[in-house]
Amino acid sequence: MTGEIQGGWEFVWAAYGVSAALMGLYTASVIIRYRGMKSRTTRKREGLS
Amino acid sequence: MRDNSNPVYTESSRPWTPYALIGIGTVLLLIGSYIGLFVAPAEHYMGDVQRIMYVHVPTAWNAMLVLSVAFIFAVLSLWRGDWKWDNRLESAIEVGVVLSFLLCVQGAIWAKPTWGVWWDWDPRLTTTAVMVFAFLGIMVLRNFVEEPGRRATWSAVATIIAFIDVPIVYFSVNWWNSLHQLQSSPETVSESFHLPLRINSFGILFLMTGVMMIRARLAALRLESELAPPLPADGKSLESGRVPGTGPAVGGNA
Repeated sequence: MTGEIQGGWEFVWAAYGVSAALMGLYTASVIIRYRGMKSRTTRKREGLS
Repeated sequence: MRDNSNPVYTESSRPWTPYALIGIGTVLLLIGSYIGLFVAPAEHYMGDVQRIMYVHVPTAWNAMLVLSVAFIFAVLSLWRGDWKWDNRLESAIEVGVVLSFLLCVQGAIWAKPTWGVWWDWDPRLTTTAVMVFAFLGIMVLRNFVEEPGRRATWSAVATIIAFIDVPIVYFSVNWWNSLHQLQSSPETVSESFHLPLRINSFGILFLMTGVMMIRARLAALRLESELAPPLPADGKSLESGRVPGTGPAVGGNA
């Protein structure tokens, strides 16, 4: 026993993978929700005018 | 009483700004992660597992920053009564919850090889979990309260109360015995680790600022549809799509 952690790359990849996936999916969801809402609002405005 | 003199949603004069911020943030994160994974040296005791720090610590800094910004928006929402602060509050709370949740997941992945457990009810982890659930509760509250004025007031008050936990999370490692290490800062981290930490911190900051701007615009659009009166029977009585009682197109949402 040296007190040093050996290996552990699977944990490193897991942390980076989860971070990329969560930030990427959340960013995409916000953009998709915004564009959907914007097109609905535009259609509503056009219907009103 | 909420001020309806400004329109709830106006087109930004720079609609591409948030997308540019997201692009810059993504590039910075790719560069910072490459340096953190392949260029920076392994830490003496933790070895390669320490490379998790380059995403975990920037996430923590940004989560705390965003929730502090949410607190400022909550105060401004109550003080100024302008809808734009409520839209920005909704955006900051959601981004703060996403970053805080990610922080807990990254921490659990780092804890397993270093502490031998995925989770421990230690002061830093417990106060962070309280923080996540407190702000998650505010998101749930916003979904349940249908009247926009009441929703804005209640969620602003709840945010101010929930924010009490944010400095407790930060100082928990100083105040109590904790498995978690002390706060990371340039003074406590070796110089060879600074570059990826800084690049990833700015990467998440740019990315999430862009996301917050778009999320605030989304909140403004939803609010506009909520505040609009129901369509008259002939569907032609309103002269424009603007909410009645609102003024000229000034101000912004993000």
